[in-house]
Amino acid sequence: MAKLAETGIRDEGEDVLRARLIEAETALADEIRKSDSLARVTEAVASCGDVDTCVQVVIDGAREISGAAFGAFFYNVVDPDGGSYTLYRLSGAEREAFVGFPMPRKTDVFAPTFDGTGVVRSDDITRDPRYGRNIPRRGMPEGHLPVRSYLAIPVASRQGEVLGGLFFGHPEPGKFTVRDETLLVGLGAQVAATIESIKLNTGAVTELNQRRRAEDRLKFALDSGRMGSWDLDVATKAYEASDLCKVNYGRRPDETFTFADLIATIHPEDRPRILTAIEAAIRDGVDYDVEYRVVHPNGDLRWLHARGRAAQTADDGGVRRLAGVSLDITERKRAEERQKLLVNELNHRVKNSLATVQSIAAQTLRSVAAPEFFRDAFETRLIALSQTHDLLTRESWAGASLREVFDVELHAIAGEDRVRFDYPADVRLNPKAAVALGMGIHELATNAVKYGALSTPDGRVAVTWSFEDGVLRLTWTESGGPPVTPPARRGFGARLLERGLSAELSGGVELTYDTTGLICQMALPLRALEP
Amino acid sequence: MKTLSSLKVLVVEDEALVSMLVEDMLTDLGCAIVGPAAEIEEALKLAGSADIDAALLDVNLGGRPIFPVADALKARGVPFAFASGYGEAGLTEDHKGATVLQKPFREADLRRVLESLVSQTA
Repeated sequence: MAKLAETGIRDEGEDVLRARLIEAETALADEIRKSDSLARVTEAVASCGDVDTCVQVVIDGAREISGAAFGAFFYNVVDPDGGSYTLYRLSGAEREAFVGFPMPRKTDVFAPTFDGTGVVRSDDITRDPRYGRNIPRRGMPEGHLPVRSYLAIPVASRQGEVLGGLFFGHPEPGKFTVRDETLLVGLGAQVAATIESIKLNTGAVTELNQRRRAEDRLKFALDSGRMGSWDLDVATKAYEASDLCKVNYGRRPDETFTFADLIATIHPEDRPRILTAIEAAIRDGVDYDVEYRVVHPNGDLRWLHARGRAAQTADDGGVRRLAGVSLDITERKRAEERQKLLVNELNHRVKNSLATVQSIAAQTLRSVAAPEFFRDAFETRLIALSQTHDLLTRESWAGASLREVFDVELHAIAGEDRVRFDYPADVRLNPKAAVALGMGIHELATNAVKYGALSTPDGRVAVTWSFEDGVLRLTWTESGGPPVTPPARRGFGARLLERGLSAELSGGVELTYDTTGLICQMALPLRALEP
Repeated sequence: MKTLSSLKVLVVEDEALVSMLVEDMLTDLGCAIVGPAAEIEEALKLAGSADIDAALLDVNLGGRPIFPVADALKARGVPFAFASGYGEAGLTEDHKGATVLQKPFREADLRRVLESLVSQTA
């Protein structure tokens, strides 16, 4: 050092040299710092899991590298009008600094970045010929961050899709060098690659989630519909069954269930039909749609409905896989069976009723003294029958009570006030007994109104019944009417009571033509009466 | 062809009014009525031992099927016909093809059926 200080020239030269050295050292340190920053940013970007974090790391790092006062990334969100950068991340400035401004438009300054055509680097953007040419603002809006040095780098995917743009600014001019541009362009490319990979990844995850959700929904639908799903490999006969599918065949979800097990579980009578249907579905690719019985290992007989179709076609054009669903339809089958029985039963009842009406008509015609009396006699009997039917229909043909039957028949002849009842308990009658007794009571009542106690104002009827060894003992006693004599000819009513009713209800019915009034005594076993 | 006159016909019918109608028809045709039976036990007894030439059986006796009675008659070689609101649909496999009188029926239908039953055994 002493040597160097000896001459002024040397001193002067030394100073310059020293200054150059310092400058070189500074430049080198700066370059090292930038390289370090770049390496750190690159590493951070690569490990980012989402786009926003990645972008933030990049603009923070880029600002550090370039010495920019502000940095921003605008995502390229294309609107139907042709493109506007809407969402953004900031570095070196608060978000509030931008909140008041509309989104940048595709002006001359921004166009190269929007369109991904090139980098815009300016020592003083306010002096750039492209600057300030757009109305209404002609430049930066009032209150905008002070930007003179300007560097904008488009971020585009390998396919050329512009993902967004990196923007950097500084209030002083001449801050960004060619070197900064080179480094930041490299960073921009890295951002593009990272965003793309994150998007791709997110897309894959989203698709996976969507598929998983769809699968969950399908499983839920199948489960709530008690539907099992199955898949048969045609060549190997490998059979895959869902838990519910196994349950449909009486197996536990953890049990193995092969195609041979399935065939063995099908009811032997249905088996040939099902095998034929499976063959046809495989050979011709026609839909498989069958209903059949299965016998569970515990002996339960159930009905299944299976539907399926070719899931994959083999090279020879045949079916490689047959897949479908199976559903336990036992309840539906039982309901159908019940409905069929009900319809048959209804038809039977209607036909029997018609036969009953035919009988009433034929016997009324036989018993009336002259044809002109037929209509009234027939109609009142028909209505008596109809009233008992109404009574039974009110209780869904489950039955009716003896007192109810009396009430409707007596009401029909307006005689309820003149009949006195005495009994320990009412009796439930089955529909057949209700119809038979209804008809019998109708005959007693109309006879009383025409010829007996109810034909005079003072006449009365007493109805009493009691129970004795499972037998209903019922007595209809008329009094206060005109003197009674046995009829010369046995009419329909007497015949119905004494012959018909006693035969139908396995009991005995006796009519006594007492001078004080008619007495009808019935002894009917309760087993023939009760539902 | 045998005449229906004095033909002894077992009637099994659980509805009084229908039974009375059938009795009247048979009486008009000159037949003698055996029964009528409204219960299966009584019907079985008559089908097994009574002196009968033919039988008319209601398919459903108070909810109980008539088929044991039909089997007893078959065993004795007594011809019979079913009378039913169900028509042929109400018959079991064993008795498909048996003569069925669909309720309601006319006296002429009953005559025709009885004549055909009698001619089978003639």
